[in-house]
Amino acid sequence: MSINPALSLAEYLERLPGTTFKKLYQQPSTTFAIFRRMLPHLAKTFVMRMLFLPHPMTLADLDAWVKPEAKRKKDQSLSILRSLHIVQISAPSKEKPQEIQLMSNFKKSLRLALTGGGNHNSFGVPSSLMVPPEIDLPFLDRYARKKWEDVLHFVVSSVGYKSSLGEGSGPNKGVKELLIAGQLVDRRPNGSLGITQAGFTFLLQEANAQVWTLLLLWLEVLGNNKSSGLDPVDMLSFLFMLASLELGRAYDTNALTEERRNMLPSLVDFGLIYIPQHKRSMFFPTRLATTLTSGGNSLRTISEGVAAATQSAQTAQQSLGLLGGGGTGEQAGSVVIETNYRLYAYTQSALQIAVLALFAKLNMRFPDMVAGRLSRASIRQAINFGITADQIISYLSAHAHEQMHRTAALTNKPVLPPTVVDQIRLWQLENERMKTTSGFLFRDFTDDKDYLDTARFSEEIGVLVWRNDNTRMFFANKHEQIKDFLKTRKRAE
Amino acid sequence: MDAVDVSEHYEVTAADNSPSLLSIVLDTNPRAWAALDSSLSLAQAISNILVFVNAHLAFSNANQVAVIAAHVNRAVWLYPALQRTPSSTAPTKDSSGDVQMQDASSEANPPPPPSANKYPQFAQIESSVFSSLQTLMAETTVQDLDQLTTQLSGALTLALCRINKAAQALSSSDTTLSNAAPVNATAPPPVKGRIVVISVSDSDPSQYIPTMNAVFAAAHNQVAIDTIALAGDSTFLQQACFNTNGIFLKAANPRGLLTYLMFGLIPDTEARASLITPTHDTVDFRTACFCHGRVVDTGYVCSVCLSIFCSPPENAECLTCGTVLALGNYGAKPAVLPRKKKKKKKIANGSGREETGSATGTPRP
Repeated sequence: MSINPALSLAEYLERLPGTTFKKLYQQPSTTFAIFRRMLPHLAKTFVMRMLFLPHPMTLADLDAWVKPEAKRKKDQSLSILRSLHIVQISAPSKEKPQEIQLMSNFKKSLRLALTGGGNHNSFGVPSSLMVPPEIDLPFLDRYARKKWEDVLHFVVSSVGYKSSLGEGSGPNKGVKELLIAGQLVDRRPNGSLGITQAGFTFLLQEANAQVWTLLLLWLEVLGNNKSSGLDPVDMLSFLFMLASLELGRAYDTNALTEERRNMLPSLVDFGLIYIPQHKRSMFFPTRLATTLTSGGNSLRTISEGVAAATQSAQTAQQSLGLLGGGGTGEQAGSVVIETNYRLYAYTQSALQIAVLALFAKLNMRFPDMVAGRLSRASIRQAINFGITADQIISYLSAHAHEQMHRTAALTNKPVLPPTVVDQIRLWQLENERMKTTSGFLFRDFTDDKDYLDTARFSEEIGVLVWRNDNTRMFFANKHEQIKDFLKTRKRAE
Repeated sequence: MDAVDVSEHYEVTAADNSPSLLSIVLDTNPRAWAALDSSLSLAQAISNILVFVNAHLAFSNANQVAVIAAHVNRAVWLYPALQRTPSSTAPTKDSSGDVQMQDASSEANPPPPPSANKYPQFAQIESSVFSSLQTLMAETTVQDLDQLTTQLSGALTLALCRINKAAQALSSSDTTLSNAAPVNATAPPPVKGRIVVISVSDSDPSQYIPTMNAVFAAAHNQVAIDTIALAGDSTFLQQACFNTNGIFLKAANPRGLLTYLMFGLIPDTEARASLITPTHDTVDFRTACFCHGRVVDTGYVCSVCLSIFCSPPENAECLTCGTVLALGNYGAKPAVLPRKKKKKKKIANGSGREETGSATGTPRP
């Protein structure tokens, strides 16, 4: 992808310097949220095992924990733990084996989070005022969903499909400007707004990732704007704190610092919190905020289905709608696609219909269903909008109707018909024959062993994109850890 | 362009992060804890267990937990606590006859004073466990203490029911669960269920059959049973762990309970796929007999229903199936027969082939 201004949270965090992490890890809630959101499963297990160890342990011991066939997984976990400044590994030397330990800040904060001691107030100070009776979970869900749908509508209504809503009902001006600044939509020559490729990627993410994308854009914009007086680290820490609050409980705004209070209006615009009109001193986190730490980067995570399932039927319905892939405001699985390229979607959501209209030719509309078909022209049109075939396929698979899943499970076949999947790709390949990955080329190694070791290391940490053993060159999409690796190698010699 | 990729991309599924359900069965035998009090009191143990529970919940916000007390005469839910409605004494039942269970958040009794220093869910679990345990202790009468052992099988069964119910709730609400895994018999279950038993007392031989029934049900559902034995001789739990691929830890030093829990038992079934787990060096495979409930090394087995007896039953009639069994001359020394000498076949002409007179061998089927 040529343009991708919308960073993922992991990439954003990786770019932060170590001192920032030190500050972040001072708050137990932030530590807790980063632990929950950012680490792969094995890395979490490592951290938990090391959490209550009094002394650093040797790296060899850690190797002994892991089965040989899972070495690759272990190396990736360690690499993530290091890039987030969670563990500290001593430099290799002759006299002492390499040791590994948790960063003291991180260790202290996570211990506090688990044992629940201290006096850090990082899990939010509840408001002591009376809660207005009309504010309950369904109310907050409705509110958050409305706010978020406004944002999505604004992004999607810029192409092809005209939104039935008027101009005035869109999101706030600030949010609109943010979306334009983040290149999720851009101004076309004729003055109208159009969706960009990044915008489409944004639409296809699950709600959780969408929220993060928007928040990170916001952090970036404010971070560049020094005059705002907001410290991005503190803001990030505040966002993580929001994630650990309890849904449906009122919190006290007076307990927040001045800077954090200044952030509240923007968060209200995004729908992350709700502030009652007549009681400005309390705020309610919505489901968008409290699920910030859930889920990974998948299109529709199971964990959200779980969260929904454990709630009562009514709220489950709403949260499913809220958190369903693409934030469609509909039950997630609703699209049937047949081998003859016909497409049926059981939906009433204007948003989902608008998304479908981006890459399919819809020709029938019923009260609760639309029908259409994928054609070369419709896919080409979508590709001209900057949408890739992969995006379309992942959208279709994330939204596949339950019946598709059932048939696939019965016949032991893929969910989407392979002919359709292949054809969509072929249509894209017709005019797009190259894929670019930005990164770094490593060459001119002194000897073969040097080259092989470095290439193997980059493969283990999962950054290797391409290698050619004959010319001793390889290409990686990140270089920081390879640089460290080369340095330590040189020192060891 | 030339390489149109073949089939890897057909299955575009979401990443697998199915929730992990942990049920903790805590042995609350008052006598055993009193004996253990000098090294680890029940209160300390509970706080250690709560840290472990929090650590488990910290992995993902989809993870769930249940804490069950296995008491001398009954099994009691500590978390989630049964909803006690003030108007009616009987707990409400839903259409399927199940008692409605409530997470602590919606409990009728006043919620704990919220603290800004604690993750709300952790605080709820803590208060629920403590209050339920206090009720349990207050309701324990002197007569109950006559029982020496713990009703473990009931607690195990409750834990299994909880996991099963949660798994069903998840698979019916979310279709991705069923299609994320390929449909075959060895497919991993949609949820990663696991039971951790904190045992302080001996296994009660009379509980052998119900315990083993629970164990086989767990093994069938791919639920691992892990045990940490702080005291006592938990024969059946060793077998339970062995049968369900769980971890059995014998805590030599009960004071270090938290370390045992955090180090040995924190990896769930997913992490165990890539970790080397503590192994059982010896497993006590002895069973209890059906007639007197004694643990036996060698016994009599009914040839029809496989019931085990410590001594030949009356009239040589199986107590379980009623088959009349003919008892052989048990105890008599088996006659040692000299082994028959095998005659070595002489090989006629170097090759082992039969003489057929032709250059090629006889075709064989």
